[in-house]
Amino acid sequence: MTGRTISGVHNRALALIDRWVQKYSALVVVLVAAFLVVFIYGMVTAPNFLTVFNFKTIIRDAALVGIMAIGLTFVTLSGNFFLLSMKETAALCIIAFATSMSLGYGFPISFLFTMAIALLAGAMQGLLIGLGGNPIVVTLGAAGLFFGLGSWWSDNLVLSFRRPHGAEWLGTGSLFGLPNITIAFILIAIAAEMTLRYTTFGRQVYLIGANRAAGKATGHENLSMAIKVCIIASVCSAFVAVAFSAQVSSAHVNYFSSEFGSSGDMTIMVIATVMVGGNSIMGGFGSTLRSSLGAIFISTVDNMMVLHGFNSGPRVLAVGLMIVFSIIVFALLRRGSRALE
Amino acid sequence: MSLKNAVAAGVIACVAIGSAAVSANAQTRGSIISFNGPAGEAYIGKFIKGIKETAALKGFDIKVFENQFNQAEQDQQVQQVLAAGQLPDVFIWWPSDAVAGLGSLRALARTGIPVLKINQLPNEQDKQYIFGYAGPDDRLRARNAGYMMREAAARKLAEGGDGFNVLVLSYPHSYGGYGLSINAFKDAIEGSPLNIIGDVGEGFGQANGYKGAAKMIAKLKDQGIHFVYGMDDAILTGGIGALEEAGYAMGTDVTAVGTVCNGDKQLIEEGKQFGTTLQSPLHEGQLAIKMVEQYLENGKLDKYINFTPNPAVTLDNLETVALRGYDDKLYGIDELCSGAW
Repeated sequence: MTGRTISGVHNRALALIDRWVQKYSALVVVLVAAFLVVFIYGMVTAPNFLTVFNFKTIIRDAALVGIMAIGLTFVTLSGNFFLLSMKETAALCIIAFATSMSLGYGFPISFLFTMAIALLAGAMQGLLIGLGGNPIVVTLGAAGLFFGLGSWWSDNLVLSFRRPHGAEWLGTGSLFGLPNITIAFILIAIAAEMTLRYTTFGRQVYLIGANRAAGKATGHENLSMAIKVCIIASVCSAFVAVAFSAQVSSAHVNYFSSEFGSSGDMTIMVIATVMVGGNSIMGGFGSTLRSSLGAIFISTVDNMMVLHGFNSGPRVLAVGLMIVFSIIVFALLRRGSRALE
Repeated sequence: MSLKNAVAAGVIACVAIGSAAVSANAQTRGSIISFNGPAGEAYIGKFIKGIKETAALKGFDIKVFENQFNQAEQDQQVQQVLAAGQLPDVFIWWPSDAVAGLGSLRALARTGIPVLKINQLPNEQDKQYIFGYAGPDDRLRARNAGYMMREAAARKLAEGGDGFNVLVLSYPHSYGGYGLSINAFKDAIEGSPLNIIGDVGEGFGQANGYKGAAKMIAKLKDQGIHFVYGMDDAILTGGIGALEEAGYAMGTDVTAVGTVCNGDKQLIEEGKQFGTTLQSPLHEGQLAIKMVEQYLENGKLDKYINFTPNPAVTLDNLETVALRGYDDKLYGIDELCSGAW
């Protein structure tokens, strides 16, 4: 490479950085650059990180939290904040599914039964939120109700169903070397993003989330929207419950309280995923693609840290830092774009 | 009836009910208050069943205060009980966090009422406040698992097999039981060809077992994984799922040993798990009441530390392992274990 070429590349890089600084502010560029340096260093030095097998592990690791986060993103984008009942909905649904499976009803009936419960759970919360209830208060109450129901129904016992059973294809099966749960995550992510981008319903989600008054003025009430998005979130929770139960051939009401992630709480992990994806907590801005990538990103960092030998404390800290980092960077980015407008 | 008469009638009714309750209480052999975790957790649910049924059998009144694995909540419960002034004859103390809960233990002991500590071995600080300990021995359990793995390794060696690398699926490394378990396990396998090549503490439960194992498989695949030790069977069950998904044939490529008996019985039946070490929550609850009874009768315990038995469970004795409970009934493995059994 000649000196002139090197100088050209150098100048182009400087010009690019200069454009970014002007567009996004120096702070964003510095933060992102610092993060990239740490991230790339971590990736390169982690033993066996850059392998196809590990890449599949990362996506599979992100799948269950990711599917729930996709469902929750509809709620957040529509301006209804979060459902704090995600894990409790899953807890009730996993008990419903395992009970049905253990009674010998088979996968299709058990699946439909579980989805029907999720639909009711979502519709009930959506109705209360749509009627003006505070989403935090409504879903906290619903969380207690669903967990209590699941606990009472199962008598706090582990419900199991013997292998072979009709749900194994989902829980432990694979296609073309990819676990079926991973494939389900990818398909759900694509379907959700297409729905948001290319359907009237998707555009309504953004409209009501960005400006509820404008939505109302154009005939789009939050009541029906709240019911729809809460049903989507509940159905995603139920799907995760079914997939996890299919994987372990059992169910317990506490599976989603202590089983997922170092932070030990599925709802917190799901909210963290939506936040790390850069979705606006106030609604109207974001996408399910961002949430899916958020899930993969958290999983990647967590994976890298495990390969480096970090235990749970630093990994929980890392998730916390990622949320703070995302909020700062995306807030600065949005402020930058508004300033340009 | 005037308001004054109605109030008077109400007061009289309350006094009558209270007197009846006191009278009923007087006919019991004593009263117990137990502070422990939530019944919603499978192990603790069976523990509570054990203390309640045995207390009723032995003629004790018992009240159980459950906390959601939260020391602050447990501290508040202690303050409420002390403030109410209706003190029992014995306290049973299962701290959510033995170190953080020391203040509450001290407050209980200052009432002059004897305190029995359960589940977590006494430390130097809390020994002065309790009259004894009843519960599991993490070390014995882990040692038995180590011996089982030695046996499996010896069989493999005798059959001309090679490869003795061990992956450990741990509790979170910050958890008190981790140090006791890993040290006892290491002592037990010392001098054998077994060699620990990885130790991951992703968290409790099957999902974390799966996630931890999946990451370690990516890291250690090249070295070869031949044995897996799960600090409890729930974690191990998840780990077995990850190993199978990665193409390992459990029972032939990899030998798995767990403890606690809170996993999946079918894995042992299918030969995918070599064995486990029983730690029965039902027994633990019964033992606690037995120790209370002994203390109230004699003013002291025969032994300060009282462990529940930890027999090994393998395919050979799966259907024949039975333990006599402290209520003199004989319990089979399905009743003693706390997972999908």
